[in-house]
Amino acid sequence: MSAAVAFSPEQLAEVRRLQALYPDRRGALLPVLHMAQDTFGWISLDVEAYVAGLFDLSPAHVHEVVTFYTLYFRQPKGRHVVAVCHNLSCHLAGAPDILRHVRERLGIDVGETSDDGRVTLQSVECLCACEAAPMMQVDDRYELHLTPETVDRILEELR
Amino acid sequence: MPKLIIDDREIEVEAGTNLIEAARRLGIEIPHYCYHPALSIAGQCRLCMVDIEKTPRPTIACNTLAADGMVVRTDTERVRETRRSIMEFHLINHPLDCPVCDQAGECWLQIYYMKHGLYDPRMVDEKVHKPKAVPLGPHVILDAERCILCSRCVRFCDEITDTGELGIFNRGDHSELALFPGRDLTNNYSGNVVDICPVGALTDRDFRFQVRVWYLDTARSVCPGCARGCNIDVHVNRRRPHHAEGRRVARLKPRFNPDVNAWWMCDVGRYDQHGVVDSPGRLPVPLGRAGAAQVEVGWEEAVAAVADALRAHGPEAVAVLASPHMANEDLMALRVVLERAGVRQVAFRVPPAAPADGDDFLLRADRTPNVRGAELIGLDGDAAAILAAARAGRLRALWVFDHDLTTAGWPAAEVAEALGRVETLIYAGAVASATSARARWVLPTATWVEREGTLTNFEGRVQRFRTALEPLGRSLPAWELLGRVLAALGGTPPGPRAEHWFRALASAVPAFAGMTYRTVGDGGQMVAGAVPGGAPVPPGRRAVVGAAG
Amino acid sequence: MTTEPILSRNFDRPAARTLAGYRETGGYGAWARAQEMEPAAILEAVKASNLRGLGGAGFPTGMKWSFIPKGHAGPVYLVVNADEGEPGTFKDRYLLERDPHALIEGMLIAARAIRSALGFVYIRGEYVQPWRVFDAAVREAYDAGLLGRGLDVIVHRGAGAYICGEETGLISSLEGKKGWPKVKPPFPAIKGAFGQPTIVNNVETLCCVPHIVARGAAWFAGLGTKTQGGTRMYSVSGRVRRPGVYETSVSITLRQLIELAGGVAGTGRLKAVVPGGGSAPILTADEIDVTMDVDGLKAAGSMIGSAGVVVMDESVSIPEALLVLARFYAHESCGQCTPCRESTGWIYRMVHRIVDGHGRKEDLDTILDVARRGAGTTICAFYDGAVGPYISYIEKFRAEFEALIPK
Repeated sequence: MSAAVAFSPEQLAEVRRLQALYPDRRGALLPVLHMAQDTFGWISLDVEAYVAGLFDLSPAHVHEVVTFYTLYFRQPKGRHVVAVCHNLSCHLAGAPDILRHVRERLGIDVGETSDDGRVTLQSVECLCACEAAPMMQVDDRYELHLTPETVDRILEELR
Repeated sequence: MPKLIIDDREIEVEAGTNLIEAARRLGIEIPHYCYHPALSIAGQCRLCMVDIEKTPRPTIACNTLAADGMVVRTDTERVRETRRSIMEFHLINHPLDCPVCDQAGECWLQIYYMKHGLYDPRMVDEKVHKPKAVPLGPHVILDAERCILCSRCVRFCDEITDTGELGIFNRGDHSELALFPGRDLTNNYSGNVVDICPVGALTDRDFRFQVRVWYLDTARSVCPGCARGCNIDVHVNRRRPHHAEGRRVARLKPRFNPDVNAWWMCDVGRYDQHGVVDSPGRLPVPLGRAGAAQVEVGWEEAVAAVADALRAHGPEAVAVLASPHMANEDLMALRVVLERAGVRQVAFRVPPAAPADGDDFLLRADRTPNVRGAELIGLDGDAAAILAAARAGRLRALWVFDHDLTTAGWPAAEVAEALGRVETLIYAGAVASATSARARWVLPTATWVEREGTLTNFEGRVQRFRTALEPLGRSLPAWELLGRVLAALGGTPPGPRAEHWFRALASAVPAFAGMTYRTVGDGGQMVAGAVPGGAPVPPGRRAVVGAAG
Repeated sequence: MTTEPILSRNFDRPAARTLAGYRETGGYGAWARAQEMEPAAILEAVKASNLRGLGGAGFPTGMKWSFIPKGHAGPVYLVVNADEGEPGTFKDRYLLERDPHALIEGMLIAARAIRSALGFVYIRGEYVQPWRVFDAAVREAYDAGLLGRGLDVIVHRGAGAYICGEETGLISSLEGKKGWPKVKPPFPAIKGAFGQPTIVNNVETLCCVPHIVARGAAWFAGLGTKTQGGTRMYSVSGRVRRPGVYETSVSITLRQLIELAGGVAGTGRLKAVVPGGGSAPILTADEIDVTMDVDGLKAAGSMIGSAGVVVMDESVSIPEALLVLARFYAHESCGQCTPCRESTGWIYRMVHRIVDGHGRKEDLDTILDVARRGAGTTICAFYDGAVGPYISYIEKFRAEFEALIPK
């Protein structure tokens, strides 16, 4: 395991706090994986093995969890993640055009990260903001009522 | 005890019995993949659907407990249609390459397709591709495309060995059975995942592509790899010897015994035991020394010479090192021979060079199968004293069974000195060794798969093993060659079969009183006074971690 | 039919996100009243209110609560399903963001009724803002002594998986596992989260509870139909002029609801409507005179589900719409049980081929047959939810699909 993968003492205290919160400490696995991703940027196999150790779980079981959920990144991601909704209501509101526009603007395909490490692009299922379709999630924020123009402005502001 | 009706037949079962097991008691097979009686209920394969009265649609039998008054049908049109549908779902992404799949002939996809599928395939789109021929460790190889994701192997590693190596990763039809990247399936029970895999996803690296399974013959047996005595089936290849370069024992498979090993056996037993049978070092014929060389002799000559050696020198000058690898019948025959010859110096505990360790489940530190039998039959003398007597020049004849004294846990110089001073060294065993090479007479014995007999495990359970193969060359079961020696000494063997020696044992040794091959049966029988402990609780079942199921 | 906003009464009052603001309009009054009531009386009131689960299944809430084993000695857990993810649904996001204390108050009352001392709120991982708002409200409630004295609440973030909206998939996820639904029985009320009796309720369902306690079961029941009380929040999107959340009585018809949302946009001529989220069988333009309650939609051969209404005007391609949903089901199938795992991918590939112009004439019947055969054979309701669109889109708009298949 790479030596770089380790939580700080404060984080380890937080892991223990989370584990104690649940009737079985394994309940804290998803929150701790969120923490790990925030800390290490993405969830490498080393991170999985490290987290498995914190929970006394087999690394395979942590790998099952990490590969099951879409929000855990198993490769380094860009500084920003742009996730364009492609489900029904957004589709009806022109999501395919928005997605095409974003791909062209960023010069990358879905699942890729721009060469400068700025943006990772995703195409995702319903984010449940259908009243404001088409929409996308940029990091923590929902960007609503997208048009090619607003997309340009939003992408421009990502540094 | 709920009483229910399955396909018009009434049956009473213990509370907690599911419908697959209840139907099994009636001889009705409900097809299934993910269900395994030793593992938790997964309910994933959806094949074990049955119709239950007052239930609107077919229900999985594995997760339905028998209830009083329940009326179950396993053969309605609706159930048959459902099975056909589920079979189609299982095969959508499964490669149709049975001719090159090693599981062919014992694949439950093939079997159930013929029994319950028989639809015309409609899938014309590209199948999902996954890794093929991935070694999972020293013994197991994975074809993820052939995997039907029943999760039996995953549950085995979680619930039985508690080692958790395997997982099902990703989701949807990209779900994939695998190890954590970079790790191996190295637990000592890995071979069992091959046994419980219902399809060709997990196959045995040692067995695959040796021989098609329909050319195999089977004999019920007992693993001789340790004092547990796991019940096994020996699969032998007699019909297509050229397919496996002459290897006759194709594989060992655990055989269910709830009191000994349940469904399992360890890898040490599975992969290390059968090597001796087809070993290039096997001794096929009796040998006698002519000058520096050992030359082939006839059994009559060898037996007569051994009988002479036993009686010519007087009891003080003769000793025998018996072996806990010998069956009860062999040990009984030896006891009678020694009584006849008046030989009293006999022992069997030759220390191993390095003591082995047991594991946390089935494997015992004692890697021999019949210490308890040798004790009960009364051969538990002082082996070190025999060694000392030989070194002191007090022994003229020494008869060694199985042991290679030169690699035992005795100082090599002492062994060399002892063997150098014994005038007549007799060796009986299956495989040549440095000890046999020094012997005046070498008596080749049949291995445990080449004969029948019984072993007494550490708990005192007497268990039968059956003949799977003919003895190699002119080798003989030890009891038989001992019978010939007995006859040469003027005694009368009790009969021409191992069973006769077992009867003699039952009448001579109180611990075995009343036992016969019939009463020992397939499950074994405890010697008098021994208390069965049952199969050990698997490590994965010992602590209830994470109460949530 | 009431037009009084009940669940959405605070939506236009940003102050309501704070405890003080919530209290201004009587917030936590129902909790005060509930504390005077025996747990059994709360349960009876909820039963009598005809409240039905508003997450998707429409199961009577009071009855669900009553399944907790009587006299169970160990803990009982209350789990809030805030894993909103059904395509076309967004009402729980509004509730979490705009009226977080209503959910906390609902949890307090429900927990008293089922004698639970620990509640979990499972919020989908993508809902970062709703989580922040709700989490802040929980901390406020702790500071005010509303929580931490009899009920503790853990706010738990998901990590991206639609199946965790299925109540036992959610429980698996809460336990730190893949969101694989559990085989039933046992049902969660008997053996749920961490092996203990557990009630899983949707956000909106629990937000109804304070109103039932405050204003009476009869009042609540009277708001709806004979078999379902109350109002509910309809998420309306797609080709309508004013998409958004609309709270009305469950006795409203689909036609009226579309009008409420400004009528059909695009061409102005209605082609089809998804009445209850992506998994609800589609309705054609002449099938919209149906009441939007659980039983009304069931009678119409569809389902109210999460009450996500997606409107399609005549310019919408139904095969493309099905392709979008088929991709969704193939992507979100958890992979646990065979019929769903294998056929969602297969059907997606077939629909994809058809939309791409490479369909074969037998494909449509194959899809219908595969969907029908798989229906009802799986561990959870996910696959049945997929089957609804597969079958209804093709059966009701077959000519549109056939037009794409080369002769």
